[in-house]
Amino acid sequence: MVKEECKALLDALSKVTACYRHMVLTIGGTSDSQNLREELKKTRQKAQELAVANRNKLTAVLKDKSVSKEDKAEFERLWVIFSTCLEILEIDMRRALELGHEFPLNVPKKHLIQTGMSGGTSGVAARAMSIQNMKYEAEHNIDVVDLKDLENEINQVGEMMYEMEMKVSVPQWTVEAKQDPGAELKSTISVGASSIGMISVEENKSFCDISKILAGIIFSAVLIIAIVLAVCVVKLS
Amino acid sequence: MTVGGPRGGHPRLQMPCLSKMERMIVSMQDPDMGIKMRNQRLLITVIPHAMTGNDIVEWLIQKYGISEEESLHLGNLIVKHGYIYPLKDPRSLTLRADESPYRFQTPYFWTSTKWPATELDYAIYLAKKNIRKQGDLIEHEKDNYNLLHKRINHTWDFVVMQAREQLRAAKQRRKGDRIVIDCQEQAYWLVNRPPPGAPSVLEQGPERRNCHTSRVQLAKNMDYYKREIEYCRKAMARTRVKSSICLEGYIKFNEQYVPHDPIMSGCLPSNPWITDDTTYWAMNAPTVLTPTKLRVERWGFDFSELLTDPLGRAQLLEFLKKEFSAENLSFWEACEELRYGEQSRIAEIVDSIYQQFLAPGATRWVNIDSKTMERTLEGIKTPHRYVMDDAQMHIYMLMKKDSYPRFLKSELYRNLLAEAVIPPETKKRVFPFMRKQRHSSPSPALLLPAGDAEDKIKGPTAVPEEES
Repeated sequence: MVKEECKALLDALSKVTACYRHMVLTIGGTSDSQNLREELKKTRQKAQELAVANRNKLTAVLKDKSVSKEDKAEFERLWVIFSTCLEILEIDMRRALELGHEFPLNVPKKHLIQTGMSGGTSGVAARAMSIQNMKYEAEHNIDVVDLKDLENEINQVGEMMYEMEMKVSVPQWTVEAKQDPGAELKSTISVGASSIGMISVEENKSFCDISKILAGIIFSAVLIIAIVLAVCVVKLS
Repeated sequence: MTVGGPRGGHPRLQMPCLSKMERMIVSMQDPDMGIKMRNQRLLITVIPHAMTGNDIVEWLIQKYGISEEESLHLGNLIVKHGYIYPLKDPRSLTLRADESPYRFQTPYFWTSTKWPATELDYAIYLAKKNIRKQGDLIEHEKDNYNLLHKRINHTWDFVVMQAREQLRAAKQRRKGDRIVIDCQEQAYWLVNRPPPGAPSVLEQGPERRNCHTSRVQLAKNMDYYKREIEYCRKAMARTRVKSSICLEGYIKFNEQYVPHDPIMSGCLPSNPWITDDTTYWAMNAPTVLTPTKLRVERWGFDFSELLTDPLGRAQLLEFLKKEFSAENLSFWEACEELRYGEQSRIAEIVDSIYQQFLAPGATRWVNIDSKTMERTLEGIKTPHRYVMDDAQMHIYMLMKKDSYPRFLKSELYRNLLAEAVIPPETKKRVFPFMRKQRHSSPSPALLLPAGDAEDKIKGPTAVPEEES
């Protein structure tokens, strides 16, 4: 079905955008490396392919006059989601360009910011590319070489967005969200508070438990002593 | 770099203080000359690159050669702008010069006026926090969440989708990095969306609109250069006075007026604001019988002083009557009435001036030179507020150059000076308990009618306490 395909493509684009944002966060920090720059390059190329695929599919559907009204509303909603995703992607690409210029990797005088990150982003990149392991095959000065390509790609994305706005007119205010506030809590993701939450919150929770257990033990001990004394009094009298 | 700004808008500039702070942060990273890093030990994980408040303060003192107070202030600014965030007490963005740990913010999250934080990003952050804390958001975050749900409702589905995806992407990193990313994001949003009541560092006050500073001229084309040439031409045509002459005049003015200034030289009999004695105002009212000596002296400084003081003007009129040139002053006064009077009466006033002062054979004919007279008579045909300006200026200069010096040398003026009063200083009471208490007037809230007074008395209780 066309709707399911569109949704699947959009989900994929959203996933890649999230991973790209995650990687752009680490530029300039201590886990920045040539590998990161290569991952950025591959991820954004994948994002662009997905964006083009999305655009083609959605424009085809929206131009189709034989679609029913509810379907059309649904596709317009997907279109709005798609254009927002593309906006975020474009902004992240621009920031990547600026940060790439500010933090070149092979210059000995320019130091990276010690942000406290020590691990790599290969897992994130693998998730974006939907593969198991990342292979790194770029040259050692990709951080400088890539910037020109990045500029071109930003222009391409900008043009694509302009075309989209001109060719397809979907008024954003007619689209209503399907999700109510707080809808994200109902889904079952295995993102428990304990794994990602603050360590300080964890500590507080554990301390509370310990104090509760202690209070329970003391109370039950006092209760037992009281019962024993009562039994002794009854027996002696 | 040409790809800098959003599509179709003017490229924004980074606030200069932020660029300076960025340079400072980068220089702190130097492995030899930068700050010493320590490790932060949490329960199970160890995260590198932490530093204490003390380290930061000492590095600033050493690098810039400043005092500790200044270094603390500078460090505070850096923390407030989000370039360094505290690890122990993340909500209070202040620098403490002790062992409390801090860490650097990642460049993506540096405060920037070039890349302002968008509503969409904030919505995604709140959605992520909602998921992590299972709905337990802070009060103002809940309000913002609901507000955003209404405002960007059309992309809310995207917000939820992206929030989930970002959390899933974060799971692919090590535990220590995940904690760091959370801290970074929290610090970023504390700076860019401060809780209600906290000052926002990104607030830029009302800008003084200088057309040359706010516009970022990109294309230096013909129009730009034409405007620049025009501007420079006008600047060259401005009248200039040598600063030495300006300053001399300024010093003279100040020397002359210093004895007359109530703040610099005290005022007799006493300052009403301090002693609650209003004699000073009563003695210097616009119309008194006997003016004070200072006032009469001031009439000698400048013609405008004499003319603007009602008492002085009356004395001048007396003098001019003796000299048979009183019509000059009357003419001048009539012209003032025309200039500042009602729009509806202009024709009437112009006519009366003409009849009284300018018509040939008028009763109080003023002596104006022929050219000015011609021009004025022309102008009277289409009367407006400023039609008498030339004539008025002529008469003013006549009085100033001719009558005024004679006035100052006249008997009348000398008698005035002799008769002028120097008010005596209020005697300080000998016995302290007889002195009038200095207090501010009672709060008007306490003077309200009985019904409200009960509520009000409970309210501003601070006022009576201050009074006693």
